[in-house]
Amino acid sequence: MDEILRGGIPYGSTVLAAGTCGSGKTTLGMEFLVRGATTGEACAHFTATEPSVKLLENIRQFPFFDMGMVDSGLINVFDMDVLYSWLGLEKASFDLEDVHALIKAITDIVNTIGVTRLVIDSVTTLCYKIKSEQLIRDFLFTLGKKLATLGCTTILISEITSATENAHWSSFGVEEAICDGIIVMGDVERMGHLLRFLQVVKMRGTSHSRAKNTLELTPLGVMLTPMLKWGSTVDNKQGWG
Amino acid sequence: MELDQRIAEQLTEVSLNSSIQVRCGTSNAFMVTASVIVPLLHSFEMGGVYISASRGATETIDALEALGLSTENIHFIDLVSSGFLGGTEVEHKNISFVDSPIMLESVLLRTLYHLRTTDNERNFVFLDSVNALAIYNEERMLAEYLHTFINTFRNREVLTVILNVPDQTPPSVLANMDLYCTDLVDRGQVVIH
Repeated sequence: MDEILRGGIPYGSTVLAAGTCGSGKTTLGMEFLVRGATTGEACAHFTATEPSVKLLENIRQFPFFDMGMVDSGLINVFDMDVLYSWLGLEKASFDLEDVHALIKAITDIVNTIGVTRLVIDSVTTLCYKIKSEQLIRDFLFTLGKKLATLGCTTILISEITSATENAHWSSFGVEEAICDGIIVMGDVERMGHLLRFLQVVKMRGTSHSRAKNTLELTPLGVMLTPMLKWGSTVDNKQGWG
Repeated sequence: MELDQRIAEQLTEVSLNSSIQVRCGTSNAFMVTASVIVPLLHSFEMGGVYISASRGATETIDALEALGLSTENIHFIDLVSSGFLGGTEVEHKNISFVDSPIMLESVLLRTLYHLRTTDNERNFVFLDSVNALAIYNEERMLAEYLHTFINTFRNREVLTVILNVPDQTPPSVLANMDLYCTDLVDRGQVVIH
């Protein structure tokens, strides 16, 4: 990733990692935290899609992940459901006041622990409770701005149903506008087999590559190589997908 | 089976960042393979990754071990055995499987992964074979892949050995192989029509 980004994600950026199911978003997010924790950075992961116990159970299968980082407090995992409960937000939809309470709770945690790397998995699940597009935009913009002020680099994970050229990179169409960077993840079908890909669409402050890369989840973490040019696009004449 | 000593003699000339095209025929493919592997393991004390696209990795391991070769410093990436039921239920610990020979980039990444985790000081990558990959992959994609493949490992000072049966390889791929590879070991059979 650092090679593709010509150095890495700029400090304090808010990056949208948008991907289809099974494309490796959660693993990428967790590796981002692990790499930070390895150098002593305080990291936080807010999980809205699955309970933290289940998340950790899945991720501990990867040797790059060290459970000791969680035990020692370098990686802090928070269940969004628990956070909602603390804030009295156990309701179907959030209004402006609720959104501000949520932003304050997240930034307070970041500030208290001194978090410099944060992952919210997923912002899609979180935003389902916010009914207005304008409110979603305000929420993400304010959250991103406050986190950047605190010196925190954030990955917002977004679930999308398609990662093809014509697809939106976010579920609500607003996340992509407020982020400093967009990483798209999905699958390319080649003769009935699915190859995971990752593409950096935007990353402010970098001269990043915009090529499509094949992604493999290995015990060492995410590994990438440029996707073959003749194997990355649909070519009906040749029958390659 | 008698090994071809001339191959060992020719290999003394190559450097670590070389890429060797090894041409063989359909009937002498394993003899040529073994004749290349033996000096790499014994004379150069190398380990590496063997990409098995022609046959299941178990078959290659058993055949090499029948010659008295230890394969413990070689990791095998098997592109064949996932294609049939029960193919991946093997005893050997040094085999990993890729679903299909069309997943070329996955093969490259798996190879890089194993090279990153090995303790061997000097490594080779043995691709067995171009003509097996040509069964599944379109000509221009295979040519592009070999270009990437060779340059990736050359850049990492890993010796690449690419096995090839010329009369079963698309002409453009063959021409590109001649262009990209630094060395040629030619043990192709003479075909009399």
